[in-house]
Amino acid sequence: MWSTSDVSALRSPVVLFLATGLLALAVIVVGTSELSAQAAADEAVWDARETTELLAHSVAEPAIPRGLVDGDAGAIDRFDRQVLDQLLVTDVDRVKIWDAEGRIVYSDETALIGQGFPLGAQEREVLAAGHTEAEVSDLDRPENQYERDSGGLLEVYTRIESPEGEPLLFEVYYSAATIDIRQDQVFAQFRPITLGALGLVVLVATGLLFALTRRLRRSAEERERLLTAAAQASDAERVRIARDLHDGVVQDLAGAAFAVSAVARNPELPASMREGLRSSARSLRTSLRGLRSLMVEIYPPELDADGLDAALDDLLAPAATRGVTATATVEGIDGVPDDTVALVWRVAQEAVRNALRHSGAENLTVTVAGTPGGVVLEVTDDGRGFDPTRRPEGHHFGLRGLNSLIAEAGGDLVVRSSPGAGTTIRLQVAEGVR
Amino acid sequence: MNATRILAVALLTAAVTVPALPAAANEDDVIREGSCTGRADWKVKASPEDGRIEVEGEIDSNRNGQTWRWRLVHNGSVSDRGTRTTRGASGSFEVRRVVVNLRGTDKLVFRARNAASGETCRGVVNF
Repeated sequence: MWSTSDVSALRSPVVLFLATGLLALAVIVVGTSELSAQAAADEAVWDARETTELLAHSVAEPAIPRGLVDGDAGAIDRFDRQVLDQLLVTDVDRVKIWDAEGRIVYSDETALIGQGFPLGAQEREVLAAGHTEAEVSDLDRPENQYERDSGGLLEVYTRIESPEGEPLLFEVYYSAATIDIRQDQVFAQFRPITLGALGLVVLVATGLLFALTRRLRRSAEERERLLTAAAQASDAERVRIARDLHDGVVQDLAGAAFAVSAVARNPELPASMREGLRSSARSLRTSLRGLRSLMVEIYPPELDADGLDAALDDLLAPAATRGVTATATVEGIDGVPDDTVALVWRVAQEAVRNALRHSGAENLTVTVAGTPGGVVLEVTDDGRGFDPTRRPEGHHFGLRGLNSLIAEAGGDLVVRSSPGAGTTIRLQVAEGVR
Repeated sequence: MNATRILAVALLTAAVTVPALPAAANEDDVIREGSCTGRADWKVKASPEDGRIEVEGEIDSNRNGQTWRWRLVHNGSVSDRGTRTTRGASGSFEVRRVVVNLRGTDKLVFRARNAASGETCRGVVNF
């Protein structure tokens, strides 16, 4: 089923372009954010490594007194007094200095001093090789018992030496919040570039969309104007042809039929000749009816509410010759403006023409009824039907061609059909169409 | 001399001559006081401070301008040392240091020696 007021929006190139553009923008924003977050995390870890090495070799190592590694209380006090404030800079949460046996010889958390914990493989490797490592802290490990409420830590460790020449592991813990802050700082550097570029894209796209929309609107208006002009020209031509037929051929045929019938009643003529003349007169009258149907089809003579019923009867006249049982019913349209009646007529004409030409129906019903919502036309056949979701090949194209007139009148045209189940075409239009 | 006066004199004498009597302080503070080998008195106070111990050592000699060498020993190891001069009408000086609160009991010894007279003071706090 399709209607004049739905599917078209989804097929609009502007809507498709806008949807595609927004999707692309969303992908760019998400992708940029992910890349920025990763870059920021790398930057934060790199900063932490730099800070750790600076603290290790410029602050802690030169200040380590003899005896610290042996647990000398006085040495621990002196070291603590000298370096504690320098080690606990803004983003440092914890400092630990380990000996090679896994004993903490110093920490700002004094309860850890003197306690021993097994060193991990990476920590032993750093003690042996002397480089710097960084990893997310496992807060379940016992040596991190005082950091469990910190909400996530990054630990960075490197090797230093005591005055006695003993290798020590210098370990600094940074809070995850610090990394988040660093991420924000890094992203802040990207943000103007990213958002600026996206803003520019949106600005340019908006301009293009605006220009495209305006061009499409003008094109549609031009097409509408041409269609209207063509329709008016067609109407004028139809009127002229209908008038010529009525004043010329139809009158001549009517006169000829009358004359032949009169001659056929002359008793002086032989019976066989009179019969031949009567047959000719019937043929002339048949041709005359055919011409009148054609005239009605070309242009209905009385397009007002009172004449619609008769016009529909004339419209359905050819159905009998095709073996189709056709009926027309008109109710409750008194006082409906002529333009509304004309629109109903045009839609009915197109629907009946399609049904007779393509449907193979046995029955065809046309109803026109006045309702509180306006005038409703339904043309129903029991023919072979079709799939309304597929663009029709030839038939129903005329209906689509009337869409602009229907839309302009504020009407709604609905086609219900499916293969093998007949077709119903329903037009609803407000009464007040001019 | 009646019994009450005898008891008061005895208590006063004990307060002057017996070193290292606990004095009134905060619940977690440990305070010791005593007399040096001469006329001076000493006082040591240890208080908890954020996982550490704040140690205050005071020498009161009632003589202004005396030079004293002092040292703070933590669990047998010198934590800090220096030289101070008594000041003011009370003729005293005070040293304040923060030491690490290690596992187990921390023994803190505040020692001072008068550079001129050789008088020595030694106050001990276990925290």
